[in-house]
Amino acid sequence: MTNDKSLRLIVDGSLVEFFAGDNALVALLRAGLHPSQGGCLCLAGDCPHCLATVDGVSYVRTCQVAARPGMVIKRHPSDAPPPLPVGDCPGTDIIARHIYCDVVVIGMGESGRAAAAEAQRDGKDVITLDAAAGQEVIGIYPGPLVVARTRDGMADVHPHGEIVVATGAAEIHPVAPGNHLAGIVTARAATRLAVAGIDLGRVVAIGTPPEGIAVEQAAGELVRFDGVDRVEAVVMRNENGSERKIECDTVSIGLGLCPRDALLRMGNGLAVRAVGAAARTSDIPACPRAGTVCHCAGVTVDDLESVRARGFHELELVKRATLAGTGTCQGSVCLPYIRSFLADRGESLQPPFTARPVTRQLTVGEAAASSYHQATPRTALDGEHRRLGAQMERAGGWWRPWSYGDTVGEYWAVRKGVSIGDVSTLGKMLVSGPGALELLERLYPTKVATLKPGRSRYVLLLNERGYVLDDGLICRDDKTRFTLTFTSGGSSFAELWVRDWAESWRLDVRLLNQTMSLGAINVTGPLAHELLARAGVGDPPQYLHHRTATVTGILCRVFRLSFTGEVSYELHHSVADSVTLWRRLLRLGADLGIKPHGVEALLMLRLEKGHIVVGQDTDFDSTPRRINHEWAVKLDKPDFVGRQAILRTDKVPLDRQLAGLEMEGPAPAEGALIWKGSDYVGFVTSSVFSPVLGKAVMLGWLKLLEGELPAELTIVGRPARRVPTPFYDSEGSRARA
Amino acid sequence: MNEFIERNVRLSWHAAKRSYEVVIVGGGGHGLATAYYLATRHGITDVAVLERKYIGAGNTGRNTTVIRANYGIPEAVRFYQRSLDLYASLEEETGRGITHRQKGLLWLAHSETGIRAERARAELNTAFGAGTEYVGPDEIKKICPQLDMAGGGVWPILGASYHPGGATARHDRVVWTYAEGAMQRGVHIHQRTAVTGLIMDGDRVTGVETAAGPISAGAVVSAVGGHVTALASMAGLRLPIRTHPLQAFVTNRYGLGFDPIVSSSNLLFYASQTAKGEMLLGAEIDRQPSYSYRSGHHFLQSCGHRAMTLLPFLRNLRVLRQWTGVCDMSPDYSPVMGKTGVGGFYITTGWGTWGFKAIPVGGEQMAELIATGETPDLIAPFSLDRFARDRTMADRGSAGTH
Amino acid sequence: MPELKLFHGTRIVATPAALDTAVWPQDALALRLAPDEVFVTPAITADIVDDQHAIVAPDAGFAGAWIVPDEALEFLQRSCEWELPLERPAFAQGAVAGLPVKLWLEDDRVLFLVPAPYATDLEERMA
Repeated sequence: MTNDKSLRLIVDGSLVEFFAGDNALVALLRAGLHPSQGGCLCLAGDCPHCLATVDGVSYVRTCQVAARPGMVIKRHPSDAPPPLPVGDCPGTDIIARHIYCDVVVIGMGESGRAAAAEAQRDGKDVITLDAAAGQEVIGIYPGPLVVARTRDGMADVHPHGEIVVATGAAEIHPVAPGNHLAGIVTARAATRLAVAGIDLGRVVAIGTPPEGIAVEQAAGELVRFDGVDRVEAVVMRNENGSERKIECDTVSIGLGLCPRDALLRMGNGLAVRAVGAAARTSDIPACPRAGTVCHCAGVTVDDLESVRARGFHELELVKRATLAGTGTCQGSVCLPYIRSFLADRGESLQPPFTARPVTRQLTVGEAAASSYHQATPRTALDGEHRRLGAQMERAGGWWRPWSYGDTVGEYWAVRKGVSIGDVSTLGKMLVSGPGALELLERLYPTKVATLKPGRSRYVLLLNERGYVLDDGLICRDDKTRFTLTFTSGGSSFAELWVRDWAESWRLDVRLLNQTMSLGAINVTGPLAHELLARAGVGDPPQYLHHRTATVTGILCRVFRLSFTGEVSYELHHSVADSVTLWRRLLRLGADLGIKPHGVEALLMLRLEKGHIVVGQDTDFDSTPRRINHEWAVKLDKPDFVGRQAILRTDKVPLDRQLAGLEMEGPAPAEGALIWKGSDYVGFVTSSVFSPVLGKAVMLGWLKLLEGELPAELTIVGRPARRVPTPFYDSEGSRARA
Repeated sequence: MNEFIERNVRLSWHAAKRSYEVVIVGGGGHGLATAYYLATRHGITDVAVLERKYIGAGNTGRNTTVIRANYGIPEAVRFYQRSLDLYASLEEETGRGITHRQKGLLWLAHSETGIRAERARAELNTAFGAGTEYVGPDEIKKICPQLDMAGGGVWPILGASYHPGGATARHDRVVWTYAEGAMQRGVHIHQRTAVTGLIMDGDRVTGVETAAGPISAGAVVSAVGGHVTALASMAGLRLPIRTHPLQAFVTNRYGLGFDPIVSSSNLLFYASQTAKGEMLLGAEIDRQPSYSYRSGHHFLQSCGHRAMTLLPFLRNLRVLRQWTGVCDMSPDYSPVMGKTGVGGFYITTGWGTWGFKAIPVGGEQMAELIATGETPDLIAPFSLDRFARDRTMADRGSAGTH
Repeated sequence: MPELKLFHGTRIVATPAALDTAVWPQDALALRLAPDEVFVTPAITADIVDDQHAIVAPDAGFAGAWIVPDEALEFLQRSCEWELPLERPAFAQGAVAGLPVKLWLEDDRVLFLVPAPYATDLEERMA
């Protein structure tokens, strides 16, 4: 070891020289500094006494980090926790690497090395994790998964075989008045400091002496440490009761060992085995008489006595009543003493606290390494929408154009001319096979058998409780083949729902989810026929019919339906063709005043037609009856998912129902409360000022009063009426035109 | 010196009797509060609370201590507001500290539909007595300066509902305060006393079996968390309850400086700073039902990542500990309390992620029910038979996070 | 940063037996996404599969790119929580960087495929 002047770090603003090979704690001690002003040091990562803020990260065990030139160490305030960081903490993203192996050995002491060698001899692929090499295991999780903090990021180690915990044992710290002073070290720490060339002065050893150092052995029972900031003497009591004071500069503590078995206990039930000192039973120190037991939380023997005397006898209750063991070292220092204390007071020796992650400290940033946000998918037209200046929003689990800047203009394009909308986000699923019809008959509350090839029907999807899960279309392609559509937000669940039932019923079907393979553009408005004719479809399908056609040269399945209330054709096509089709339709319709419409305009249009949006207008306990959709449920079918529940609840008087509402003036906000006189009767789920009707139209939940839905209501202090839906074109003639 | 050491509560333990007027199964918040209110409000003190481990060992001692009333249906808003009020006066009533802190709760919106939902929440809450207002970005930044309003460029913060009554209290102190208050008035609490069976006389519950022998009771109350379906089945009841794990973690202690409780509707996490100075982070329930208390790594990773997106100052804070509780989820995300249809057997369950908030009101109302035999109006909507009567209480304000 | 391109091909859902016995064109890559589902690229004709109820649909729903193995494995080591197959060639699928990714691993290159709506996200996350 050489003294190199270039090796300097900064402690509380002052330069401190260190030697090559020093860890940060040794560097501090070399300069006569103690990271937390005092307290017994272990140099083994077990205790809380060497914690400091290192390069902006607080609660770093300085004994576990190598000293580096320029390292900035700030000692924690002595009387308060370190301050909360202010403002942003930018940092580089930390990477977690996934490593697969047969066996993981944690700890590379003698027993760990032996275990690793033995596994290797057996031909096992062994990963070793050694805190001394900067690989600190923070926890063992189900998987099993061993997570370690390493010098270049996180390591997530997945063993196929066993996890060997060879973490050794921690030395028991002293509990006596004055144990907060500097100059107290464990026996092993004393040896290591001496080897590092730290001048320990006169060393007094209590218990097992340190190796390789000349010490004065202090016999008897430890009474207290004397000194102001640093220990100056230790007071011992002999067997005959007399006290003896021994002057010293350093006290070495050899009071026994407590296995570092937190990982073993955390891995309970997994293939985890301890070897060496980690597998041994804990030494239980003599019951402490006075002094600080838990340094993290500042708990003394008197505090333990005080809560115990007030009825807190269980180890866990003593912990919770004092917070002993809840700090940074998670009980490493105090647990043996609390157990000893409670055993002394007549309780049995209670097992240690539950071991929970994390056993070694890591930052939130490290914990979050290689984590990703849930991605929001984009349709093939995403770029088109952005180029057109759309306000993009996450809606129904996708990025969708909320508005192109003129929502009312987009609305009128649909009502009076022609418009296109991106509905690629709708769920689309193909069902084929001899069991297809039976599957759908059993899944849906509609009579699927009566649906002719080439025709489509609006359907509800119900769960076993008879609650509405989703809505969409069943389109029959031929005898054994169907296309299902689902809502944007409901489709991923609906796919699993259909697959799970097909599997449960063991039906002979083929299922293909095409949601992400097919784009869909809705051509809607009174001039939709005209646009389609220009696009090459002179004989489009009739209302609720569908067929294949070439549109502007692109192969499409054309579904005639209507959500907007106007003539609508949904063009399903390969996502590879979306942009071309979109652009061609806009170009073909330019002189018709074509405009794309966003989600906001679509929500206005559908509300005028009284169409529900599942999830917005429905709740998760909405039955068809509650949302006025009994017409979509055929109870005379032999069976379908939800039928039993509906048969039962149908006998119960209805308590609330979704209803159409209207009022003069601007539309109230969605969520507005609905009153009948001074009684709350429900709330608005959808609300819009209808440009074509010149009033506000809404859907909302109403409670039945004496068996009747109230008709005259108050919303945001203004009169409102319950009215039948649709609000607009109640005959539906526009959609069928 | 540690200001959090319990220096007031005194727990006095008794030998078990063979018979009590009321036996409450489960020594968590709800069981102890029920005992407390039976004793203090109705003078019923011949009561035993039986706890499998130690008091507060279950989900009361594992929860993240948020108290709020900003729920999604009027019946729930009224119910939780009553709880908020009882919590606020509990220290005065008992002379014990529960570290009650009114902090205000922000529920952040990141989309147009999210804004609509938070506006609706504010409107409904205000009408039913739980003050909540809609606030825009400027005000949000004032309430919580640490928020990155750009949401890391991923989830920008567009608005929020703000619930000034949102508060926290130390869970253990709530447990001990109720336990002590009940014990002082003669209630017995027996720890390490697992109930292994129910004693039936015909179709009526008349007592419980324990390892230490049978205990007869005029009324048995299940205030069990977790294995409630198992206990109820001993009385021949099937409960529509599924139990899901819910995880949380805390950082080490830092100086106080994060005032509110912050939740994100899209990122599904929430954050607050404990009185001790730890940053406390939680997220949504695990999807897979389980009784397991084992913590998962994915939760720590994902919750940390999501929280850091809106609260970048968290990045360099050091994680201290993670843990897991379990949530009894009802199909409509509302509690299940009251009579069961089985004589002598009452139930308080379905506490999902909202149990801690409801401890005072849950205990108060269950005590009234047991004492009077009449179901109080405040909990009538939450009765078990609502599922059979098609009177479910779907509550979107019960987020499944906290 | 790789630029992902749409992969044109055919999605086939048929009985596992029909897929087991089908013979794919020499120049085609056939990825068995499930026991009853295969993605073949480039596109093929319908009559290859012996199942009259098979769904045979032209498909451009995956975006993908070929990556050199070192880069691919370096990325996968930090973005993929599950164990990759050791043999080559091999097909594997699961969450990669939080996205539903399909991998075709050859000795000298690796194909990453993702549903096209996630292409931008995968590009960003691989960058």
